[in-house]
Amino acid sequence: MAAVGKRERRWLWIAAIPMALLALSCIYPIVFAINNALKTSKGYILDRFGMVTDPTVQNFADAWGRARFSEYFVNSVLVTAGAVGLLLLLSSLVGFALAMLRFPFRRLVFVAILGALMIPIQVVLVPFYRTVEGLGLLNTRVGLVLAYTAFFLPFSIYLMTAFYRGLPRELLEAARMDGARFLEVWWHVMLPLGRPALLTLGILNTLYCWNDVLISLLVLQDRRTLMVGIAALRGEYTTNVPLLAAGIVLAAAPIVLVYLVFQRRIVGGISVGAVKG
Amino acid sequence: MARRVIGQAERRFAALVLLPAAGLLLVFRIVPLIWGFVLSFTNSDGLGQADWVGLANYRGVVTDQAFRDSLVNTVLVLATLPIWILLPMLLALLIHQGVPGGRFFRAVYFLPAVLSSVIVGSIFNVVLRFDGSLNAALKAIGLSPVDWLGNGGTALASLVAVHLWSTFGMSVLIFLAGLSTINQEMLEAAKLDGAKFWARLRFIVIPTLRPIIEFVAVVTTIGLLTGMFGLIYVLTAGGPGTSTTLPEFLIWLEQGKLNRPGYAAAISAVLFALMAGVAWAQVRIMSRNAEL
Repeated sequence: MAAVGKRERRWLWIAAIPMALLALSCIYPIVFAINNALKTSKGYILDRFGMVTDPTVQNFADAWGRARFSEYFVNSVLVTAGAVGLLLLLSSLVGFALAMLRFPFRRLVFVAILGALMIPIQVVLVPFYRTVEGLGLLNTRVGLVLAYTAFFLPFSIYLMTAFYRGLPRELLEAARMDGARFLEVWWHVMLPLGRPALLTLGILNTLYCWNDVLISLLVLQDRRTLMVGIAALRGEYTTNVPLLAAGIVLAAAPIVLVYLVFQRRIVGGISVGAVKG
Repeated sequence: MARRVIGQAERRFAALVLLPAAGLLLVFRIVPLIWGFVLSFTNSDGLGQADWVGLANYRGVVTDQAFRDSLVNTVLVLATLPIWILLPMLLALLIHQGVPGGRFFRAVYFLPAVLSSVIVGSIFNVVLRFDGSLNAALKAIGLSPVDWLGNGGTALASLVAVHLWSTFGMSVLIFLAGLSTINQEMLEAAKLDGAKFWARLRFIVIPTLRPIIEFVAVVTTIGLLTGMFGLIYVLTAGGPGTSTTLPEFLIWLEQGKLNRPGYAAAISAVLFALMAGVAWAQVRIMSRNAEL
């Protein structure tokens, strides 16, 4: 914002100092993880706080192999990809229906779906676990995909509905005049037009699924995703900080990369629901 | 006639599309909610044997010292709510006002929020240890070290501080989105009329931000009630004693025992009652903003 008074300008410079310190603290964990991941365990014991002097990649090899992070990585990738794909498919279809089609109780259905937001996993922990068990989905990746989809679906549908709401219904009517069926309208018109919202949603859901620990702890008990692997590593090798740090770098690298590439998308998606669509 | 046929196709498609989504929500959330509620009135042993015991589980819950402690902890945690709103709002205002390096700050502040709570917790578990780097830094400037996580007096505050640190960037972004909706011409006009920063804040900015403040308050409260599991799990495991046990973690501990699901379900029902009000507020705000 231009034309700020001189006095205010000076205050802003002063404010920038604590803000910069806060920013440093936000970068610190990444420095901490990379720095310690490169230390040998002996090097870590000798100098826990200093910068690494003789960097080694042995910790990454150990985490990937001995600590079975290769398996956890595959689990995380498959489950996240499956859940995000399913979430995008369902939410664009339902968003299209809720925003553009005319059917009875439309608003009620919308509020009911949003209402599911009121039921977090903790509130249904026991019966949820039994449901997963009863359906034979315990310790299956499919089970985790379905669970993630169920828990992240309301927000996804909300975002797509709000987005499609901004498009004119004439789009639908024109396509129908040309004889397109609803499924074709969705495929040829709604999906391409919804791309910006779908991208934002895909990134946000990738973040949520990749980072989740509670649902994953319940559903994939023996096979583990990366985050459960990290939590377990902390228990099993409390003293081996370099190995833990290497695991953290492996688990965080993909998501930090996604953030750096798609930063603006995430910024847009976070405020959906807070401001009028 | 033709119109009605068209309307039917529309309805049929909508129903077809809604079915799988509704099915997933029903199976994994809505039925479990009702099931859990029923379960909370039984003495189920987790193996199929269950008798109706009325309010016995709830009586057990309210006399359970661990649960009482978790409620006290919840109250303490919720008492920090003003910080969760004021700090991000102040930061967003400064960035909006064009603080030097603002764009960089905005990007970096959100960085902790993209990291999993398990990762944040594991890192701070090492940093906050008695022999960790924070105490080393304190010692370097002549202060005495504190056992941040091992001390009942500081563990909860440390947990809350780490959670705040890892999520404040999200609220900053939401406030910035709100600030971008402020009428710039009005702001400029006020400035030309000589309105100082505080006057502009009070008469233009805050009134515009009211709905955003509401939203952040609601989302933060829900996060404090149901979003701290990962952090508790790796940072403190609820301890020392029960000093960082919140209801959501207690439910997890009870669930893990598997032998008295009715009791765990009763705690769940209490948590649901605690958060239902704010959660409903969130649903209302969101459906209002979607303008459906």
